[in-house]
Amino acid sequence: MTGIASTEHAMKKLISTSVYLFMFAASAAVFAGDYEAGKEKSAACSACHGADGNKPITPEIPRLGGQHYDYLEHALKAYRSGARENAMMSPMAKPLTDKEIKDVAWYFSRQTGLVTKY
Amino acid sequence: MNLYRIAPLVCTSALIALLAAPVWADGDAAAGKQKTWTCEGCHGIRDYRTAYPEVYSVPKLGGQSAGYIVKALQDYKAGARKNTTMGAIAAKLSDQDMADLAAYYAEAGSGK
Repeated sequence: MTGIASTEHAMKKLISTSVYLFMFAASAAVFAGDYEAGKEKSAACSACHGADGNKPITPEIPRLGGQHYDYLEHALKAYRSGARENAMMSPMAKPLTDKEIKDVAWYFSRQTGLVTKY
Repeated sequence: MNLYRIAPLVCTSALIALLAAPVWADGDAAAGKQKTWTCEGCHGIRDYRTAYPEVYSVPKLGGQSAGYIVKALQDYKAGARKNTTMGAIAAKLSDQDMADLAAYYAEAGSGK
């Protein structure tokens, strides 16, 4: 009896732990992009924003390195939808999928660069 | 790969845009530091997020390109770039204010 009860307890524990782990992994996957995929995709961005998004080729081009992941995602989606317009960025963002946007945003957000200045 | 194919074209456009760029007012970082009071309530708080209509972290400004900051502020003021909060704030800034703020934020940040 005790044996059955403890087995049952262990099973329940295992199931709830798996559920928690799954939820954690799922939430992480939603928040983060794929670093390596983003790095590969970022070559097109670096042509103007510079290596790691930290050396823009003209003063009017923003640095991206270290910028917040969700801000970069927001900006790219705004360019893609047309809510934000720019002769260079609009055509760059148009063909990107949600995943590609997340990957690229994640890659640049993971670089050392911009800081919160106060 | 579409993006790679248009990258050179895009960059050439960027260079042309640079040559045709207007001359900005010279920014004074020390003067800019005195003008950040409308900025720091959002941009000066680490990981601060917007609340409405979309939720996302407000961008980090420390170390940002000065020319980009000026351009962003001018676009907000002109209505070419739309954000309710930034539109209202930029509307009150002069060209000199924008240049000073850009010079201040372009300097490497003091925070993280």
